[in-house]
Amino acid sequence: MRLYFVFQEIWIGLRRNLTMTISLVITVAIAMALFGTGMLIKKQVDSSKTYWYDKVNVSIYLCAKSSSNPDCAKKDATKEQRETLVATLDELPQVAEVQYEDKATAFKRFQDLFAKTPGMLAATKEGDIPDSLRVRLTDPSDYDAVISAADNAPGVDQIVNERELLEKLFRILGGLQWAALFVALIQVFAAVLLVGNTVRLSAFSRRRETNIMRLVGASNMYIQLPFILEGAIAGLVGGCIAAIMLVGSKVLLIDRLQESLQFATQLTWTQVAGVIIFSMAVGVLLCAGASFLTLRRYLKI
Amino acid sequence: MINFDNVTKVYPNQNRPALQHCNVAVEKGEFVFLVGPSGSGKSTFLRMVLKEERPSQGRVYVAGKDLGKLTNWKVPHLRRRIGCVFQDFRLLPNKSVFENVAFALEVIGKPRRFITKVVPEVIDLVGLDGKSHRMPDELSGGEQQRVAIARAFVNRPMILLADEPTGNIDPATSIGIMKVLDRINRTGTTVVMATHDAAIVDAFRKRVVELEDGRVVRDQSRGVYGQAY
Repeated sequence: MRLYFVFQEIWIGLRRNLTMTISLVITVAIAMALFGTGMLIKKQVDSSKTYWYDKVNVSIYLCAKSSSNPDCAKKDATKEQRETLVATLDELPQVAEVQYEDKATAFKRFQDLFAKTPGMLAATKEGDIPDSLRVRLTDPSDYDAVISAADNAPGVDQIVNERELLEKLFRILGGLQWAALFVALIQVFAAVLLVGNTVRLSAFSRRRETNIMRLVGASNMYIQLPFILEGAIAGLVGGCIAAIMLVGSKVLLIDRLQESLQFATQLTWTQVAGVIIFSMAVGVLLCAGASFLTLRRYLKI
Repeated sequence: MINFDNVTKVYPNQNRPALQHCNVAVEKGEFVFLVGPSGSGKSTFLRMVLKEERPSQGRVYVAGKDLGKLTNWKVPHLRRRIGCVFQDFRLLPNKSVFENVAFALEVIGKPRRFITKVVPEVIDLVGLDGKSHRMPDELSGGEQQRVAIARAFVNRPMILLADEPTGNIDPATSIGIMKVLDRINRTGTTVVMATHDAAIVDAFRKRVVELEDGRVVRDQSRGVYGQAY
């Protein structure tokens, strides 16, 4: 195998079809960037999901003077009410632990959580967050029993199932991820068609050469390899551009989402690198495979 | 060397066969003229030797091997042992004489050192010494055909197929081309040449196989173009 010769042929082929090659590179780049972004969001969602779902509680807010719930009748929940409720909950098999959080502790936790947003802190004072029971579940998805037990108990203002809130958020992110993958799929389809056209043009512009190669007994691989590598190189260049875009989407999209949504886990650069390598490999294989398949139509062996 | 055993070829969507019940045996080192009017099956005959077409019936043997049993994967190896020359030269216009001849060796993976040694020898053999850096469009038709012959012969094939090699060349220049083909034949290479050129066939007095409507109507050693009465 004479590598120099093969690369010379590839270079000639790419240059002859420069505009086709450029459009192919752009399409592949966009397809792979969207594909990778979809994967990054998925990774972020998956890791946040496991982190958060282990930590979520059902919070049962007890009545306070300030609560608007008519059942509370503008009174604080009594100590007996609270203790009865705790006892009922403790007996449930789904409950791992019930923790009482008074107004002072709740406010302190609030201050820690929103340390970065001074506006929120300024608008809140101790006592705004009522006493609550934080119920940790043995299985975070099994919350129905707890909610029905607490729902109509005296002294309960409202029940907040944190899992439901999280699920809403993750549904939105999941939608984003699928949208990215869907658009990526369309782009991949366009890329495959473009590869087909590029190969057809390339085969046509090099038909003299390939004819002679066939006649003098060049092996099929020798004849096909420049075309396949042409596709692969376009895929690789597209993949490199996609890699830059993916770094961009990590910094500009995922990290920002993380800041504003308080994701507990940060996507590491190792994970990003994994996604980049994977999507580049997909890009290269996609283009090489598509050129191999279209070659059979346009190149007589 | 080449053996056609009752070969019939019908192209798809055509009723009239291009070759029918064709029996021809060409021995090693022979020089054979394949004559006959256009459409008589000369080109089909040559294409079958290269396994570019497969017979509808019958068998083609090249160098003792049944081409019907040759896997597609091995076809390139068959073609490496067969050189081809055409009426329209088929040179690469953007490559010099040297590069055109070297191309045939490059694409079968021969090492650079071998190429730089062998290519000038063949260019000398076809009588183009000193012109190896010319581009094809700077050469006359006869010279271009010599380049094509050099390319066909550079890998020392056992068979040289020539499909009307003098078809685009004036009679005086044709003689020169024929001398080159004769020189190649003398090295032991079997030459099969399809031609319309009566003057050349008559002058060379080699074996003549005449085809008409796909049938062999004459096979004569030391023959002439027209029917000998």
